[in-house]
Formats: sequence, structure tokens, C-alpha cells
Amino acid sequence: MPTETPRKQFQSPKKPKQSPNNVKSQSSTPSIHLSPQTPQLPLRRSSRRSLQLFTSKTVDEMLDLSTPRKALEALDGIGKCSGNNRKGSSVRTPRTLKCKFNEEDREIPEMGKVGEGNGEVSPEALESKKRKNGLSEEGSVKMGKSPKCKLNEDLGKLGEGNGDVVSPEKRKKGLRNEESVKTRKSLRCKLSEEEMEIPDLGKLGDATFFPVSPQALESKKRKKGGEKRAVTRAMATRSLKKVNKEEKKGRKRVYYKKVVYDGGEFEVGDDVYVKRREDASSDDEVPEMEECRVCFKVGRGVMIECDDCLGGFHLKCLTPPLKEVPDGDWVCGFCQARKLGKDVEFPKPPEGKKRVRTLREKLLASDLWAARIESLWKEVDGSYWFRGRWYIIPEETASGRQPHNLKRELYRTNDFADIEMESIIRQCDVMSPKEYAKANDQGDDVFLCEYEYDIQWHSFKRLAEIDNDEDGECANGDEDWNSCKEDDSDTDEDMEYEEENERNAHARPSTTHQLAANSRKGRFFGIRKVGTKMIPEHVRCHKQTELERAKATLLLATLPKSLPCRNKEMEEITTFVKGAICDDQCLGRCLYIHGVPGTGKTMSVLAVMRNIKSEVDAGSIRPYCFVEVNGLKLAAPENIYTVIYEALTGHRVSWKKALQLLNERFSDGKKIAKGDDRPCILLIDELDLLVTRNQSVLYNILDWPTKPHSKLIVIGIANTMDLPEKLLPRISSRMGIQRLCFGPYNYQQLQEIISSRLKGIDAFEKQAVEFASRKVAAISGDARRALEICRRAAEIADYNMKNQISSVNSSTVKDVVTMADVDAAIQEMFQAPHVQVMKSCSKLSKIFLTAMVYELYKTGMGETTFEKLAMTCSCLCTSNGEAFPGWDTLLKVGCKLGECRIILCEAGDRHRVQKLQLNFPSDDVAFALKDSKDLPWLAKYL
Amino acid sequence: MGREKEKEKLSEKALNLLRSRLSDPNFIFRPLSDSPDSNYSKLKFIISTSVTEACNNSILLLGPRGSGKVAVLELVLSDLLQQYPEAISVIRLNGLLHSDDNCALKEIARQLCMEHQLLFSKVASFDDNSQFMIAMLRECGLAHKTIIFVLDEFDFFAQGKQRLLYSLLDAMQSVNSQAVVIGVSCRLDVDQLLEKRVRSRFSHRKLLFLSPSKEDTERFIEHILSLPMDSSLPHNYTAEFNGRLKKLLSDERFKELIDTYLSFNFTIGHLVRFLFQAVSYMDLSAGFLSLGNFKTALSSNQRQPKLECIRDCSVLELYMMVCMKRLEVKEQASYNFYSVMTEYKSIHDSFQTSDYYAANVCLRAFEHLLQCQLISFIDNKGHNQSVEFRPVKLLISSAELHQGLKSYQQCPAILLKLMDR
Repeated sequence: MPTETPRKQFQSPKKPKQSPNNVKSQSSTPSIHLSPQTPQLPLRRSSRRSLQLFTSKTVDEMLDLSTPRKALEALDGIGKCSGNNRKGSSVRTPRTLKCKFNEEDREIPEMGKVGEGNGEVSPEALESKKRKNGLSEEGSVKMGKSPKCKLNEDLGKLGEGNGDVVSPEKRKKGLRNEESVKTRKSLRCKLSEEEMEIPDLGKLGDATFFPVSPQALESKKRKKGGEKRAVTRAMATRSLKKVNKEEKKGRKRVYYKKVVYDGGEFEVGDDVYVKRREDASSDDEVPEMEECRVCFKVGRGVMIECDDCLGGFHLKCLTPPLKEVPDGDWVCGFCQARKLGKDVEFPKPPEGKKRVRTLREKLLASDLWAARIESLWKEVDGSYWFRGRWYIIPEETASGRQPHNLKRELYRTNDFADIEMESIIRQCDVMSPKEYAKANDQGDDVFLCEYEYDIQWHSFKRLAEIDNDEDGECANGDEDWNSCKEDDSDTDEDMEYEEENERNAHARPSTTHQLAANSRKGRFFGIRKVGTKMIPEHVRCHKQTELERAKATLLLATLPKSLPCRNKEMEEITTFVKGAICDDQCLGRCLYIHGVPGTGKTMSVLAVMRNIKSEVDAGSIRPYCFVEVNGLKLAAPENIYTVIYEALTGHRVSWKKALQLLNERFSDGKKIAKGDDRPCILLIDELDLLVTRNQSVLYNILDWPTKPHSKLIVIGIANTMDLPEKLLPRISSRMGIQRLCFGPYNYQQLQEIISSRLKGIDAFEKQAVEFASRKVAAISGDARRALEICRRAAEIADYNMKNQISSVNSSTVKDVVTMADVDAAIQEMFQAPHVQVMKSCSKLSKIFLTAMVYELYKTGMGETTFEKLAMTCSCLCTSNGEAFPGWDTLLKVGCKLGECRIILCEAGDRHRVQKLQLNFPSDDVAFALKDSKDLPWLAKYL
Repeated sequence: MGREKEKEKLSEKALNLLRSRLSDPNFIFRPLSDSPDSNYSKLKFIISTSVTEACNNSILLLGPRGSGKVAVLELVLSDLLQQYPEAISVIRLNGLLHSDDNCALKEIARQLCMEHQLLFSKVASFDDNSQFMIAMLRECGLAHKTIIFVLDEFDFFAQGKQRLLYSLLDAMQSVNSQAVVIGVSCRLDVDQLLEKRVRSRFSHRKLLFLSPSKEDTERFIEHILSLPMDSSLPHNYTAEFNGRLKKLLSDERFKELIDTYLSFNFTIGHLVRFLFQAVSYMDLSAGFLSLGNFKTALSSNQRQPKLECIRDCSVLELYMMVCMKRLEVKEQASYNFYSVMTEYKSIHDSFQTSDYYAANVCLRAFEHLLQCQLISFIDNKGHNQSVEFRPVKLLISSAELHQGLKSYQQCPAILLKLMDR
């Protein structure tokens, strides 16, 4: 059963199975039959391949860097016989490596270093040649612009192949061009360490293994490799930085965004199949299209995919044959029969013909791997590599395949490897659930990936919805990748800082475990640990009802696609910001936005900033930096300097220092860091919280924009309309000029907001929405409140429905939110509960309250003392035949009522002189107590 | 002899069983929770939907003290922790302990670290902790984990700038998180205490905990006090115990007794305390609950501390209080030790009582009255003044004083006369 339900949610890609358009022809799949012929390999390769370089980036690289590692790995491979191949750079089998190693072994003594890939050229020779070439051809080679650079792989001309490698001088230019330059770091010196760690980690891997699948052995090997990687990788890269610093010479790697390799076009961000090992791929040619499971022929008519076994069937081969692909899920006859508990025999392929497995099948049987390309580069020796982020199949995770896993589900890991492009077979499509649900006939290579799997902690985490965000998320996991990015600004000024970082980084590995999670030195230590061990079942195996969908879209956290009813204001903000950015001077730009809570102030500004950012990306507006501060989230108003400075430069200093530096930057026009000439937009939410006694914080911040060359634009948001007037005149003169008011929404607007969110969901009666919006508009005009009321109403309706279904076994209950539900929600939200409490409180409390009202009517004074009240109470009691409980008890009753704030009273130890007052109008008390059953006489006194 | 001992043992066992039940909120509140209208099922629905549907909620549990807010909440939480063992982490704060925003955030960070086996640093700043909290909310949201913040004594969090609530609620609606904030308070107007921008972000689910109805109370008492048939106690003893209890419960006098008790405070917590007391008075040799037990419990509950204080006073102290009362009747608003002394002297002069003491003895009596809180200083001003010069006020009313004098055994007759005049 569980396997069936999830499919309802994610409609698996539906099949007319057509051959994917973009699949490369089979013949061109590089099959690296390595082994003894390795030296000839480059030659063979050259005859077949053309390269297309789109954008290139240069990077320093140690030539000898990967070589020793190779050798070591080979050693490792021999020694451990473990499928260490996933690790590091090579995806070759130990066998190949071994032969290669043997071959190269002979050369080691003489040269000291092992040549990479092609053992004939000594690295020194290569290196020097290349350096020469790089320098001499510097002028003539245009970086990244040469559209097609035929690679002549003749070894003699290898230098030419490196021609597009740009020398340091050029690199600087590249920097200006805002091409990110990534520094690759050498691995060398940590290798010994890595080796040392291997044995015990290997053990560890063994101990923590729990494979259940038939591929037990396979995954074991792989995991072991993975585990080792996971721990050592960070260390290795760290040490690289250091080596790199010392030996930063003219050796480079060239980075690309897109590479045409072997007829296929590969881009950063693509997902590809990666060969697992040689012998697996020798498993003959890979079919481009899946064969029919019945007739074992390819092509000829439309095929349909079974949602259970993923097998393909010709429509006409089915019994009975289908005319067209049915809607919804379809399960083949074999699977249906198997589910019923029958023994099923799949039709056997005709004699002499083996059933050919598709790449997808191989991947899901873990005979292949899939990876996502994170970066592409050309090694100094001309070979093409990419950095891949592995995907794994559910069987390979610690928890194994979970019942609600989909057939085509993959997990993205936080495991990276440098892989040669040789081993890429072709592209596949790994999609987010949303895309996956839409993908209907995109061929066989479609996979779903919703979760990231942490190979260290064996835990799952949902992928953040916006892919860009995810860099920040995984930042703490893969430092090396991050450090590459940071190195973009690898200029001389930053050197010191960087080196300092490195020292820290160097000291880090030993102390990582001691670092506290909440001491934020730029990151949260160990936050990766957070994750589920299993994907909870309720996430997948549950089909959302209309009401649940309505609830989800009404959530405040769900960002609406558009912001209705705020077009005018947004336009105004847009023109303000655009005008401020485009203006070269940016003089005295300050906007004050005010409005009651829940009128969309912050949201509108953020939406505007998003729009403008997309325009920046498109290139029509100059880049700017955007800093967002919330006054209520600062520990003290002065901390805003620290926050701004940190946002601008990434350094954290004390607020005094930050103020000084910011003053220097904005007032004196001194540059603190690179890219300072960009205009800066500062958004301060809850501006009123920044008001200090002498108002210096506000003054400073609002004074900067008036300075020439400051290029600072301040947008302040607060609730009160007259905040500028309340401030010192020198501040209000700087702030109060341009203002924008967000008025409370009226009921039509609220209605539009709600119904725009509920578009396509039939869960609300129309009057119900109108009722809610009218009510809120009359009280506050707060959109949050309106949404919450509707959500609460949906919740109430849902609650009632579920209860009725569980009690009465009928489905006559309508799952629509009615006026009654909305009314209940409004009651709950707006009505103070005191009437109900008064109705249900104890007898003495009722008498007490009545006495208070009586006293109020008698004297006309709101306030009374306990002495007077007690007298009245005893009078009431005696005249109506109730026992008077005594003063002390009465005092306790009064204090209890005071605790609930039904009355306001002083502390109980004041006793006789305690002052008391009703907290609610006396009419409420009268209404609540008038018809109390146990004390009917109370009505007389009310 | 042996049989009696055995019986005693038996009744002690029964007593222990009843006591352990009475101190177990789980047992007390379970039977009140099955109907769909109960707060238990409503609360459980709200929290479990936020777990399964990945949404944020904020709930207020309101009701007088002793109405079982926290008990029901704990019941729900323990049930949900069983249902979704991995998906929930609970952070508990108490307004009396963590009303300071800084320390509350630190405590949140500490509990989050504990929950996820992370290392916690005491020295982290407010910013660090709040960023950590937001990051954790996000990560937990991605990992399908719900964080439940239980803020007991919620009204204390709603003081000052309410940074904690703001950052919590703001994070809940901007970050993709799953969190439930549950505020527990006995103040009914607690949502009015929230600042307007905090209130706007609060999702205002309110659950009101009220006292049970009279019929419910009766059923409830029977449920708690009757012994289970399937316990280790012998069957005939249990049957007899329950039979007697039933008879007792239908007794009119018993009903009246319970009524008087509950007329003062009508909450479950209050009732349970009373039952515990009554059960503790159970006669072990008889082995059954009797009306007498409940009567003793009631009388020990209905104490009048001020009257008892008067009973413990010396005659001189009574004189002083009567003097003060007389001064009040003379509409002398404020009086100190010396004005009381003059009154005391004038009484002595006119009536020639036998109880006349020197001024220093009277001062001692005066100080004792202050300590008993039968009188108190009018204001907190003049701490450096000596006691005898500071104005004081009588804290018990004349009616109480009169009653106290009447019940005082060796009260001089003159004092009662003086009270009236």
C-alpha cells in the first residue's frame, strides 16, 4: 500500500516513452579500455574529440599535484582492494591503476615525480614548456573568447593546447572582467596524512555498515571510499592552500562554464551518468531506448511505463492492447499479478538475445553512478575534469529503501569528487518534485531528487527550494568548495586576511569537535547534524485535501507570487530606488515608510528589491549592495554599525570600530574594500527601535546619505506616522522629506489578497472570505490577521470534518469552510474569554463579582477597598441565605480573580486596605452572571 | 492480630495506589480528554497538523491556575512524541525564569544544542544566539522536524520590548520552518499585552481551560477514588471499597461538603489537592474512606489565618489593636505608636484596667503585631525613621477583630465593651 500512495502526489513521468532527444549516439560513448595501452590513449582521444570553450577561467594549479595522489591511490587500491575509486580523482578500477602504476613505477626513481596520465613526458618538461608557452603567447591568445579551439593532442604540441591558459598578468585582467577566478589547491602535502587515516576509517566504515540489498558488497566498498573521503577531504584541501601560496607560479587550470566533450554539451549544474568501472561498461553497448518487456524490440510505436517496475511496454504488446496512454497511474499486468501474491514470470527474451539494460536500470541497480557537475576545468596536461557531487540511490543510504521512496528517487549527497570527463556517459535529468510532476515524456533518464543525504551523519534534509540559497546552506559542509569562491578576490590587500584565515583553518581540524554550535564565527558548527534519519512517512504518503491545501497557501510563511493591491506603493519604491541607484551622486536619499502592522511594508520593499536584482542580473542596472537590518533583532541600537559593517565587508568588529570605519567610508569616501563604489541600499525595519536617548544612532545613519560620494540610500520602515516629528529637528529634516504611507487594507483589498492565494482551491464559501475580510478591515486592516482568520477557519472546518468522519462513517460532510467556521475563528481571535471564565467560575467568585458591581453602582466609584467589599459580600450572603465564608477566604477569592485579571487588585497582603477594580465593563459581568443556575438571586443586584 | 495487620497492609496498599493516582496528572486528565470538544483533542489536532502539514502556529492556553493547562499540554506532547518520535523537539521556557530576552534566547540555544547533541557555548552573544536559533529553525524545517516552544507564564515574556517573541514569530513567518509557539498563562488579557507588531505576527489560536461542570466533577471523583478491579488487591476488598465509596458519593452530606469546598475555587487542581488530603486521613485499620475523612480535610482547608493570629496574641496586643480601632472610629486616618499609646493611656485612666504596661513593653507588643502582619506601615517612606514614629494601619477589619476577641478565651470583658463604644 505505501508504495501506491506516494505516486498520487508525484505523478511519475508518464510515458509515451520516447527516445530522449538529447541522447548522444551510442558509438561516441567513450569507453576507456585502459590498461596497458594507456600511453596511446591521448592519441586516440584526439582523433575523436573536438572541444568548444565558452567561458574560461584561469587558475593556478600545481602540475604535480594530482600525480602523486594517483600513485598513492593505486597503492591504496592494491593494498586495500577496496573500491576506493569513488574517492579523489579517478574513477578507474584498481586494476587499471595498478598496471598504470607499475608502468610509472619505473620512472619514479629518475624523475622524482610521476607524470600524469601520459607517462612519457616528465612533468618538469611539461611544466617548463607550458610556462614558456603561456608567457610567449600571452598577447595572442584571447581568453575565453576563442569559440572553437581545436585541440591537437599531439604531445609535441601540447603547449599549444595550453595556449588558452592565461598567465598571471592576464589573470588580473580577468579579475576586472568580473570573471571569478578560482584557485585550485594542491593536495600534495596532506597525502601522507590521508593515508594514515585510512585504516581506522576503513574499520569504521565496516562497523557502521548495514546494507541489506543484494548489492551489499558493492555498496560496502563504495561507502568505505565515501567515508574516508568525507573525513579527509576537508583536511586535504586545507593543506593545499598553504602549499599553493608558496608556490603560486604560472601553472594554471582553466575553468569553463560549458564544455562540449565528445559530442555532448556539459554545463555546470548538469547531471550526468558516471561510469562506475571498466568491466561494468564492457557490459556491451548501452541502448538508447528501452526495449519493450514483451516483444524485446526497440521503437515502433508508443511505449508506456509501468509505475511499479518501471518496465516499458508497447501499447500494442499489452493484453488487451491499449489505444492511448491512460491518465493517472498505470501498473503493468505483471506487477498487478505479483501484488496479488501470484508468481509471475516475465516473458523471456528470444534465444541469443540478452535483455539490454538501460542506463537508468543500471543506475538504479547501482552499476552506474550519477553526479551533478559543480565545476569544469581543463587540467594542465589537457585532460578534462569536473568536480561532481554524487547522487545516490535509496538502497545505498544507511536506512535503505524506505517504503515510500519512489522508484526513480535519488538523493543528493554532500560528497564531492574530481572526476575525469572520460567517465561521463551522458546526461540525465535530476529534477525537483515540482519539475518531476510536470515531466511527462522526457524519456527514461528522469529522476527525482528532493532530499540531500549527509554521508557523515546518515541523515536526510530537504533541499532548499531556491537553488541559489543552497550554497549558504551547505557552506559549512564543504569548505574547500567555498574557499574557491572566496578566493575570487585574491588580491594583494586581502592576502593577509586570507593567510590568517588559513592559519585558523589549519588549526581547525583538531578543534572542530570542541567548537560550540552557537558561537557564530561565521558559521554554526555541527549544524549539519540536524536531519532526519528516515524520511517521515506522512510527508509522502498523504494526499492533501482541498482544506489542507488551502491551509498551506494561507500560511504567512508562504510567499505569494504577486503582491496584489500594493502596485502603487511598489511603483513608488521602485522609482525611488532606481533613481537613487542610477544617479551618480546618490545625494541625500532617504525614504521613510510607515503604516500599521500587517500592511505589507517589508514585503513590498523586498519584492521591489527582488525585481531590481533580476534587472541587475539581466544587466540593465548597475550592481549595488543591499543590507537589511531589523531594529528589533538588534541587542542594542548601537549594534547596527556592526551589522552594517559586517554585511558590507564580511568582517566583524566592535560597534565603535565599525562606526569609525563606516564614517570613513561614507563621510570621507575612503574605500574599505573592493567594490565599494557600488551604491549601497540600507533597509532598516522597525526604525523606531533605533531611537536612543541622544538619538545619535539615527543621526549618524541618516547623515551619511547627505555626504557626497557616500552612495548610501536608506529606507526606513516603522509603524508610527509621526516618527520624524518626534525626533530632533536635525534628524527629521534628514528623514522626513520623502515618505510613503501604507494605509490599512480595506475589505475589498483583503478579499483580493485572500482569494488570490486561494486561486484554484475550492475550499471557501465566497461569503466566508468576504465576512472575514470585512471583519478585519473594520478592526485593523491587517492582512496577516485576515489570513490567520481564514486559516483558523479552515482548521476548524478540517477538525470538524475529521471528527465527523471518524464518528459517523459517512462522507456526507462537506469540506468547505462556511460562515460558521469563520465566525468561530473570529470569536476565538477577537473576543476576550473573560465572559466564559466568569460564567464557569466558582460560587464565591460570582458573589464577589456581583458585590463589586453592586458597590460600583452604589458609590459610582470604580475603585473600592477590600473592607467595603467584604461588608457588601456578607450583606449579600446573609440576605440570600448563603453562608459567609469568612474574610480570609474571600480575600483568596479576590486574589484568584486578580490573577486572571478579571479584576485588578493590589497584592493580598494589603488585606483590608487592598484596592480593587473591575478590569472589564460591569455590563460584561452582568451579562455573564445574570442567568447563573446555582445563584439565581444574583440578578437582583446586577 | 495477624489478620488485622494484614488488613492494615492491604489498606496501606490501596492508599498508596490512590495517592500515586492523585499525583499523576496523566491519570487525572486522561478521561477528560477523549471527547472531540475537549481541549486535549483540539490542542492535539493543532500541533499534529503543524507537524504533518509543515506549518507554523502559535497558540495561547488560557485559564485560571489549577485548570490543567500544562498537564493537558504535557499529555499531548507525550502522545505526539510517541507518535512522531523523531520529528518533534520541545523547548521549555518559564517566564519566571527567563523573562529577560537575552537569557531566554540563551536557554533556547542551550536546549536546541542539547536536543541535537551540539556543543553549546555560554559566552555567545544575543546576536549569535538569535542567528543560531533562526538557522536551527530553518535546518529543522528542512529536516521535517518541528520545534515546539512552550512558554509557561507567557505574560512575563510579554513585557518590555518583547524581542524574543518578535524574533521568534518573525522567524516563523519568514523562514521555511516548522515551529509551534505555545504560550501558557493564567492572565486572560495576555494577548492585549503583546506589542502591536508582535500581535500582528501571532496567530491567535486560543484555548480556554474552564472548570468542569458539576456532573463532571462527580464522575471525576468517582473515577479517581474507586479502586481498579484488575489490581493486585484482593477482589472482595476492592468490591467492598468501591461499594462504600458509591454509597458515600450518593450521600447528601458528602455532596454538600464538596459543594462548600468547591464554592471557593472550582478547578481540578484544587479538587485534587482536597482529595489527596482526604485520602491521607483514611483510617488504616478500617481500610475504607469515610465521610469523616473528608470533613477533617475540609476543616483543615478552611482556615482563617488572621483569626488564628488573633488567638495567639497577648492581652496587651489585643488592647493595642482595640485602641487602633477606636482611633479609626474617631476618624483619625493615620496613627503611630505614640498616638496608640495615648489612646491606651486614656483607656486606662478612664476604666482603671488591671493591664497597664510600661511603654517599652508596649513597643515590644507593637513590633510583634507588625511581624504578624496584623498591622502594617502605611507606606514605604521613612525607612530611616524608628518604628514608633512611622504611621501604621490596622490590617484586620473591626468585624474580624470582634470575632477574634469573642473567640479569645481569657479576653477581658472590658475589651469587648470598648469595641462597641
